[in-house]
Amino acid sequence: MMMGGQPTLAAYLILGAILFSIGVVGIFLNRKNVIILLMAIELLLLAVNINLVAFSRYQGNLEGQVFVFFILTVAAAEAAIGLAILVVYFRNRRSINVEDIDELRG
Amino acid sequence: MNAFLLHWTFAIPEIWVLIMACVVLLADLYLGERLRDVAPVLTVLTLLGAAVLTFFELGQSGTTFAGLLVLDPFTNVAELFSYLAVLMVVLYSRRYLMDRGIYRGEIYVLLLFALLGVMVMVSGANLLSIYLGLELLALSQYALVAFNRDSLVATEAGLKYFVLGALASGLLLYGMSLLYGLTGTLEVRHIAAALVNVTSSNLILVFALVFIVAGIAFKLGAAPFHMWLPDVYQGAPTVVTTFLASAPKIGAFALIIRLLVDGGYGMLESWQQIFIALTLVSLVVGNLIAIAQQNLKRMLAYSTVGHVGFLSLGIVAGTEAGFASAFFYTIVYVLMSLAGFGMILLLTRAGFEADRIDDFKGLSQRKPWYAFLMLIIMFSMAGVPPTVGFYAKLAVFQAVIAAGYVWLAVIGVLLAVIGAFYYLRVVKVMYFDAPEPESGPIVRDDLASATLSINSLALLVLGIVPGPLMAFCFYAMQGVI
Amino acid sequence: MIITTILFYLFSAILLGSATAVITARNPVYASLFLVLAFFNAAALFILLGAEFLGLILILVYVGAVMVLFLFVVMMLDINLTRLKEGFLSYLPLGLAIAILGVLELAVVFWTSPLGHIPAPGPIPANADNTRALGVLLYTHYLYPFEIAAVILLVAIIAAIALTLRRRQGTKTQSIDAQMAVRAKDRISLVNLRRPEQ
Repeated sequence: MMMGGQPTLAAYLILGAILFSIGVVGIFLNRKNVIILLMAIELLLLAVNINLVAFSRYQGNLEGQVFVFFILTVAAAEAAIGLAILVVYFRNRRSINVEDIDELRG
Repeated sequence: MNAFLLHWTFAIPEIWVLIMACVVLLADLYLGERLRDVAPVLTVLTLLGAAVLTFFELGQSGTTFAGLLVLDPFTNVAELFSYLAVLMVVLYSRRYLMDRGIYRGEIYVLLLFALLGVMVMVSGANLLSIYLGLELLALSQYALVAFNRDSLVATEAGLKYFVLGALASGLLLYGMSLLYGLTGTLEVRHIAAALVNVTSSNLILVFALVFIVAGIAFKLGAAPFHMWLPDVYQGAPTVVTTFLASAPKIGAFALIIRLLVDGGYGMLESWQQIFIALTLVSLVVGNLIAIAQQNLKRMLAYSTVGHVGFLSLGIVAGTEAGFASAFFYTIVYVLMSLAGFGMILLLTRAGFEADRIDDFKGLSQRKPWYAFLMLIIMFSMAGVPPTVGFYAKLAVFQAVIAAGYVWLAVIGVLLAVIGAFYYLRVVKVMYFDAPEPESGPIVRDDLASATLSINSLALLVLGIVPGPLMAFCFYAMQGVI
Repeated sequence: MIITTILFYLFSAILLGSATAVITARNPVYASLFLVLAFFNAAALFILLGAEFLGLILILVYVGAVMVLFLFVVMMLDINLTRLKEGFLSYLPLGLAIAILGVLELAVVFWTSPLGHIPAPGPIPANADNTRALGVLLYTHYLYPFEIAAVILLVAIIAAIALTLRRRQGTKTQSIDAQMAVRAKDRISLVNLRRPEQ
């Protein structure tokens, strides 16, 4: 997997793909725990960031890194709002169990 | 002047909305306790001002901010309709929010920021500006859905919306990252140019398109990515639901135009196949599951899925007429949902949501005018002539037949007929059933009632004279293809 | 430069291991600490790729701020851990199958595509200033998204405060504007105590 003394781009992309799948599985697996759900979302974004930084390096331009900069900003804002919603939900429900989230059905 | 600031005046409507959102925030903070209406009044002024500013830009086109913002007819038209949609929401909102003790300035501030997000999306010419506009819209929406923080259903809807919305953003971003990797640029124009040469690594492109279309389908509410829609529509405060069904749909449509048409029109055949599948599933799921609903907000949510199916017919056509008819359908859908949810808002009072279909029993005896307006709205959603809903469906069917997909049009017509059933059930309940005793009096609300009358009658008038609106939609598609 | 490759595999392995631990941990505190570990390794990978600024930001912003926020919420909410442990495994086989299938497909596509094997454009020069280059781009070419990102952060502030701030009745806090607005005559009123002349 050596090329020019560096791991190939494919290696980084596969790393990103595995991390992305871990994030998606984390969302579907953690039916029980919203906080870990929010962390799985962070993993998704991290996978995208690895893709972009790797592309940026191998394409030889900085635009990918600029994109990552903004994704980090948005992810921080997203975490703040997500946790705020979680806190108000917890105050109403006294539980973060997703299977308790069943007021809305039909 | 620096090159990247050339033509910065194209961004004046965005700058105006941003400044005014901050003004509304501060004005509400300092004056809100004495002048409770300061936030909505300023919001209405903001929207009217933005409409004037956008109006002055009609006919201009070009890019600014180093090509991150594009001004073209689509930007102008989509922005004008977004202002109109938010204006209606504000006019409907006052009494509902007051009755529930959430008549607070922040809700209007968040509406303006969400609108700003839509504006950034529709004028986005770069993956970065499109993504940031989308997130600005989405984050404001999550907060709005959970805004009634003492209500269990509202915060639960907010949480669901947040998790699924973030997943959708993740899918979209993954697709965008692959697109960047293939082309080495974030600018949509350059991506389109670079994709012409991409054939050897085609599979990565297919993956990129699949991820992007899945993300868009989530945001638009197309089946099978619609699972958040009924829960969020039902759980959110009805004012917020009204908003969710309006300007954000124009934003989601802009995603299709900006990413798939501006960027990937050369790859039309690749993503067309995915859209055919989405269209079929949406038409079937939306129209069949809506029949079983007892809650009107939920029924309208599934009807949204159905409408998304119909408007995607125009996208599948892949021609200029197809995109124009899909845009026409989007605008008509927005007007119809504003009226439909506006009717629910009008019938509510403190402690009574009026969101069950049974709550509409005997409306013709209690308030004949409202029943008549609801009749127009339901006929328009079902696509009964002479309402505009009929014309919108006709236009997408014509476009998809002209593109050679007769079988899709046939399925569409069949499901439109099935779908008519549940809309007509509401009409039947209003005119032929006796009112329920607990329905109680209808609270007088002149502003919302006048807005609703104009909104509903517009559905009738536009159905009789659809020409100008259709011409406007064709004008918007100039320069897109 | 075999060392780069070795480091890549080392950091990737720890990154994937800790990511798996995040989604399988029962206790949210462990999960957030594993997420911190994942971020550290991702930051190391960013630096291997020549994105030093982003690597540092990832640690400062994520480990320093976001993860602290997570931990804060975990501690604040009184979570019933035993209930959270129930029924986790029922979704595991399906989830795992879908994930492995997806990864395999993507891996084959990346591996067989010529894009996956384009050579890196030479080693990064020793005097390359990644932070400066990014800064120049951000404040010129990407001014517009920079402003929108600022608006997004503002929305996050407004939303978080509007959702969670409660003014409870009876809490004892300093009300500065009320203090500033006080005039002497509000506090002291001079009363004439001299007995009226009789």
